[in-house]
Amino acid sequence: MTARDAFLYALSFLLLVACNLAGGLIATALHLPVPGTVIGILILLAGLAAHGRVPQPIRRMAEFLLYHLNLFYIPAGVGVMAYVALVRQDLLPIVAALIGGTCLALVAGALAFHWTAKLTGNAPDDRP
Amino acid sequence: MSDIGWKTVDWSVAGEGALWLALTLLAYLGARWLQGKAKGNPLANPVLIAAAPLIALLVSTQTSYADYSHGGWVLLWLLGPATVGLAVPLYLNFTEVKSALLPMIVALLVGSVTAVLSAVLIGYALGADVETIRSLAPKSVTTPIAMGIAKEIGGIPALTAAFVIITGGVGAICGSALFNLVGVTDRRARGFAMGVAAHGMGTARAFQVSLQAGTFSGVAMALNGIATALFLPLLWLLFAN
Repeated sequence: MTARDAFLYALSFLLLVACNLAGGLIATALHLPVPGTVIGILILLAGLAAHGRVPQPIRRMAEFLLYHLNLFYIPAGVGVMAYVALVRQDLLPIVAALIGGTCLALVAGALAFHWTAKLTGNAPDDRP
Repeated sequence: MSDIGWKTVDWSVAGEGALWLALTLLAYLGARWLQGKAKGNPLANPVLIAAAPLIALLVSTQTSYADYSHGGWVLLWLLGPATVGLAVPLYLNFTEVKSALLPMIVALLVGSVTAVLSAVLIGYALGADVETIRSLAPKSVTTPIAMGIAKEIGGIPALTAAFVIITGGVGAICGSALFNLVGVTDRRARGFAMGVAAHGMGTARAFQVSLQAGTFSGVAMALNGIATALFLPLLWLLFAN
């Protein structure tokens, strides 16, 4: 990696940070009921669409961060410890809601996609 | 997310924070190595495997989660820019995604509403506290967005973050088996459902299975973040009044 590459990657990272921050500022300023990160995604998407393609360093940086996405969830995973005591009296409903709710959502989402694709002739087997 | 950041850092404990940050990275690398050894077994979830020894270490050294957070917040903060990066696969795969637009919209609406309602109703039926239910509602959305939603509707963002992780673990572990059970073989459908129900942890798992599943999962995760952020606060307003 040359110094120029490193500079471009750093710039790409700053762009992602800037989109996230800008999204947060817009959400706060306009009192939108939407988290800043969502607006950040839309800002970057609009920028890419206006540019017409994804510059290589931005693509590499985004893919690098997404590849290690699990890493960024670990602190919140450790945080489970801090809240188990706090919610002890609600433990059963919480565990049931998390396991039951997630399994229901998985099945509902997959079947909804599957059936709609079949009904509209968009199933993988139907395509030429 | 505004309550996490450099402003909340107490610099006198930054050294201890850096140590916990380094240990977290180490735990992550170890978990990834184990995941490789387990040859893609969904039980080898990197987040859960990495968090377990860290929790054990915190408990055995009598360190509070707040002290751990002096280092951990950096990673939580990075989740914001990383999530924004979802715009890239969303843009790059726009053509393939567009060709399955209708199944995606239906799956998004069904999956998103099921995720919220099932959690809220199960929590309510089993007598959970209102604040707990509010914190449960956005559990299927990726952390930075879910924490934002929790704040909007009067939940506890940090509690939501913990729920999000357990949801991601359940999704990543149970997903494939459940899809086989109901006979959905379409990788687009499997990936999309993973992203809707189990956010980035489901997406990371879907990428392990196939690029196509991962792409649809990433798209689903981004869309579900947007959809839930839009409809959940409105839904809450409706029910609260």
